[in-house]
Amino acid sequence: MPGSTQLLSAAQARRPVERALLFAGVWFVVAEADLSSWTFGVPFVLVATIASLRLTPAREWRIRPAGALRYAWFFAHQSVAGGFDVALRAIRPSLPIDPKLVCYRLRIGPEHARVLVADTVSLLPGTLSAGIEEDSLTMHVLDCGLPVEEGTRLVEEHVADLFGIELAEEGGTIGPCEVGSVGTCGIGSEGAR
Amino acid sequence: MSVIDVVSVLLLVAGTFFFLAGSTGVLRFPDVYTRLHALTKADNLGLGFFVIGLSLRADSWVVVVKMVLIWALVIVAGATAGHLVAEAARTSGVVPWRKPR
Amino acid sequence: MKLILVGIASALLLSIIVGLSRVERGPTPADRMLAAQLFGTTGVAILLLLAEAMETPALRDVALVFALLAAMAAVAFVKRAWHPGPGESEKGERP
Repeated sequence: MPGSTQLLSAAQARRPVERALLFAGVWFVVAEADLSSWTFGVPFVLVATIASLRLTPAREWRIRPAGALRYAWFFAHQSVAGGFDVALRAIRPSLPIDPKLVCYRLRIGPEHARVLVADTVSLLPGTLSAGIEEDSLTMHVLDCGLPVEEGTRLVEEHVADLFGIELAEEGGTIGPCEVGSVGTCGIGSEGAR
Repeated sequence: MSVIDVVSVLLLVAGTFFFLAGSTGVLRFPDVYTRLHALTKADNLGLGFFVIGLSLRADSWVVVVKMVLIWALVIVAGATAGHLVAEAARTSGVVPWRKPR
Repeated sequence: MKLILVGIASALLLSIIVGLSRVERGPTPADRMLAAQLFGTTGVAILLLLAEAMETPALRDVALVFALLAAMAAVAFVKRAWHPGPGESEKGERP
């Protein structure tokens, strides 16, 4: 390991301590504050810390607390709306759905942020992420009448706020997934029908 | 029954509604994509109602944190699994159901 | 009170049974997988409820394992079990 003979930087020295504290907290909660469980808990914390340092040595992103609060609030009320929406569609006798696959051009760059966007989108009303290829997020839309583009843009903005990253100017629009494919939610060949 | 008991039971009944609606969706929706919508969204909300309802009755705050931890785990796992299954279905050529026009 | 909680648990069990008929019907392997997911989430809810109703905290640990297993199962399914090539989408479909 290059630089292993040098002194550890402050951040490097802090990392194992931070992770060990995190896993100790998890153990405390999982064991429901049972003190006698620490005979198993101490080895667990050690092994988990070593495994975590090996699997993800460095974390190149950080979370902004204020952004995290705004994201959590957005996530909470949107996922409630998403649950109500799909539950009511499922039990109504007419089964009001009009699904389609669409592609959204992502404005957000970093990989971890894209994964969070994809996961968040799946809990929003009417959208389900179904793959990320380059700058394009494939989504399955339950009903074309839903404001999917605005919703996905909002998700991206909240995730960017959470991690404190900038969005690209281009993108943020929904379109057909491939050239020549069936139009997507009022875009493309839909009008020619 | 105390007020807390009543509120707790109401939340649990609400949660049960979402679980039943989710299962109904899994049964009634026409293809794997639409069924995934029903599963991920309705069940996560149902479990949310359960965690809040049961938290009102919990003996200690650690139990509440533990249930929230399990809930968070189910949400992340559900969203990720939904994404993977939908992607696998798409790349293997399962054509999404379209409304007949 | 205990009776109400057990009643709710039974309703959830019914929900699982309804959803599990999707395993039998399929038609694609992915449909069967998502029914297994449903078993996971609803199972977690039942276990949390019973942990409270029957004052058995250990059931919450079972719920935790269920939550973890559901995630692992889905990843294992996608990465290992289901590898249909293009054109195999009709596999398992019923006429």
